[in-house]
Amino acid sequence: MEEVDRIIIHSLRSIGCDIDEEVHNLRQFNTDLIVSAAVQCIKFINNDADLPNTLPPGMSARFRMGASLANYVQDMGYRGGDLGYQTFLYSNEAEIRKIFMFLVEKLPKDTSQVADEPMGSSVMLHRAISTELGAQLALPWVPTFLKDRGLRNRTKQPGWHREGTSCMHRYHACHVAVPRDVASLTVKLPKEQRQYYGKQLAFLTSQTQCHADTAPSVLEMTAAEVARQQEWETEWNQSGLTSRLSQKDYKARKMSKIQKMLTDRLKQDAKQRDGGSTMDSLRDLQQVMASISQNARGGTKTKGSRFAHTEKLLYGKDEEKTMAQIGAAVPSKDTEEETQRKREEEQQQLREELTQLLSQIDQLELDMRKMTASRQQMDEAVSSAAQQRQDKEEAFQVKKRTLDLLPDAHNNIQKLQGVVDGSAQRLLSLAAQWEKHRAPLIDQFRTLRELSSQRESEAQRQLEEMKTFRSKMKEVADEARQKEDLQKQLQMEYERMTKDVNRTAYTRKIMEIVANIKKQKQEIDRILIETKSIQKEINSLSGKLDRTFTVTDEQIFRDAKRDESVKKAYRFLAALHENCEQLTKTVEETGVILREIRDLEDQIETESHKKVLANLEKITEDYQQMKKENATLMAKLKQK
Amino acid sequence: MELGASVVENLCLAGDTAHIPDKCFDQLARKACRGVLSETDRNAIADDPSFKAVDKAVLKAAYSGVVALVLEAVKHDADANGISHFLEECKFTPDRIQSFNNIFLTQKPSMQILLGSVGSCRPHIVDVDWRLDYYIKSNHMERINEAVYLISLKTEVPGQTELQEVQFSCSLEQLQDLVGKLKDATKCLEKQAQS
Repeated sequence: MEEVDRIIIHSLRSIGCDIDEEVHNLRQFNTDLIVSAAVQCIKFINNDADLPNTLPPGMSARFRMGASLANYVQDMGYRGGDLGYQTFLYSNEAEIRKIFMFLVEKLPKDTSQVADEPMGSSVMLHRAISTELGAQLALPWVPTFLKDRGLRNRTKQPGWHREGTSCMHRYHACHVAVPRDVASLTVKLPKEQRQYYGKQLAFLTSQTQCHADTAPSVLEMTAAEVARQQEWETEWNQSGLTSRLSQKDYKARKMSKIQKMLTDRLKQDAKQRDGGSTMDSLRDLQQVMASISQNARGGTKTKGSRFAHTEKLLYGKDEEKTMAQIGAAVPSKDTEEETQRKREEEQQQLREELTQLLSQIDQLELDMRKMTASRQQMDEAVSSAAQQRQDKEEAFQVKKRTLDLLPDAHNNIQKLQGVVDGSAQRLLSLAAQWEKHRAPLIDQFRTLRELSSQRESEAQRQLEEMKTFRSKMKEVADEARQKEDLQKQLQMEYERMTKDVNRTAYTRKIMEIVANIKKQKQEIDRILIETKSIQKEINSLSGKLDRTFTVTDEQIFRDAKRDESVKKAYRFLAALHENCEQLTKTVEETGVILREIRDLEDQIETESHKKVLANLEKITEDYQQMKKENATLMAKLKQK
Repeated sequence: MELGASVVENLCLAGDTAHIPDKCFDQLARKACRGVLSETDRNAIADDPSFKAVDKAVLKAAYSGVVALVLEAVKHDADANGISHFLEECKFTPDRIQSFNNIFLTQKPSMQILLGSVGSCRPHIVDVDWRLDYYIKSNHMERINEAVYLISLKTEVPGQTELQEVQFSCSLEQLQDLVGKLKDATKCLEKQAQS
């Protein structure tokens, strides 16, 4: 209860109720305080409730105010019971506590809405933009000559913002050179480069032509380097690792691929532009012919050069192009016919020579082919003859030996048989040895093959693992960054929030209360189980008692007809049974009465909290006052 | 804030006490900031006598590293924590980090202004002069009797010190149209500033 009261008093103080420092629980609230606190709460929640802040002195006014307060609270949805003027004017601690808890609960919803907004980065960006716009719009107009190079100073965070554009430069980046590997221990810098760095290279800020380009150039250089590094990393991670080459080899392979592509494309384009491969061969032919003609005709150099030109004229597929190529060798009009004739004669001659030479060449080629074909045939014949000779020689050798052996035929046949057997045996033993050698070698081969395939799959698996690790690393880095951002945001929010309500104490108390309640629930369950078992015992025992009593009763009654002492025993039994029954009944009644006593005690306590007597006295006093006021009003009316 | 490998290497050079002694480091940082900011001090580091003992190639490398760091830090609006963190990775001693931060943070606003002045923009209207003329008659018509507004917008053009003018004439309706559009634009801005 203390905690609840403290929370209520604290919240009431925070909305502006003027509560004394010594008031610590709701019992110390008097009627004025209750009414003014309730009015403040209602005004806080619902701004257009027109209630006076304090209790008016007149009794009827007080009565009316109490009634309106009760109405307001009930309109807001209070369900704790009937409210009337009496709950505020003649207050009861428990009811007041409930009402204030309800009102205080309704309060904070207005203030906590501000802190619940989403803290996404786009929202924060929007907020920053709108605050900046608002700040700039709020400033008055200032003519240009009063702004320091287009800047205006202000007191908010950056201290300045730009309004004029006369001092702006466009972004223009130039190439800047920076010394590299100057003190590196792995890469050796050539002496000339070191000298260049030391003597000729300008300092970084003096390299651009215009000083305003320094910042853009340096920024572009650093950004380009970072971008290049990141691109290389992604490429290496994706395709470099899978190719299983070292970095240098991978780069060399890529370079050679690109160069090959370039040369192929250039060759293709060159071919397309010059109209096909015939031109190449013709040019070669033309060179050859030029050299031949030079050798043959000695001093006709000019003719040779003109020969070159006329070749082009003859065989150029696109005559305009070739005319354009010749350009300055356009003949003048006077000698055109002569030159034309000469040209035609030359053409004729050259054509004849050409055809001759071509036919000669064809002939020679044919001969050459025939010669090579016949030579091949000869070679084959020679080799086959040699082979035959070899065979015949061997056959001769064999026959000679058998002839030698023929005289001593029988022994020799046996010896030969023995030799044949021996060689057969040797063959068998050799085959066995070979088998012996072969088997382990084959096993070795199989094991090595398995090992290599395993290693490949191992390598594959390790690559996969590396990839997953890398992706996990990236994820973890991203998560860490996100968590850091979140932590920064929450830190800012936490610093912004007010710290006068001690949340940890409340949470601790709440957890303690929850634990207590759990324990109590367990106790209650245990007691319930005990009670149930006791009840069951009682039931079973009473059942047993009845049964035994009826049995003994019958028995003794049967015997009692005959025997006198048995009749006495029977009478004793009946009396015993009655007395025991009475005993049990009185025990039950005492139990019931004890329970009633406990209930009545509780009731007495609650009633004593209601302060009924004090309220009655107050009510009678107020009643007397109202009577007096009514009397005075009646008197006033009568006077008028 | 990320910097490329060669810049980090040059920065490590700058932070190395073997190559750049402590006394020279402050001077290096100051000259780097001044070299970026002012045109007259572009090459001031070349003639500075306190760097006589340092090998020129090493000095140039360290200077370029510091200049690149300074510009990147201004671009990212880095505070003392971020810079200290980065410089620790480049193996700077805490004293050097402290002195660098002191020098850099005093120059940071002017460098932010410098970076903020990089950009291209259209002529910026700063003032307007207007004049109302009355068009009485012309050689084609005897009586015209119309009001004509002559508006002259004064603009700031990047690179020019004088204000340039954009002059035009318009009728009353056209001027009302223009003013209506300007009012719409201001309302739009104010709505953005409120939300």
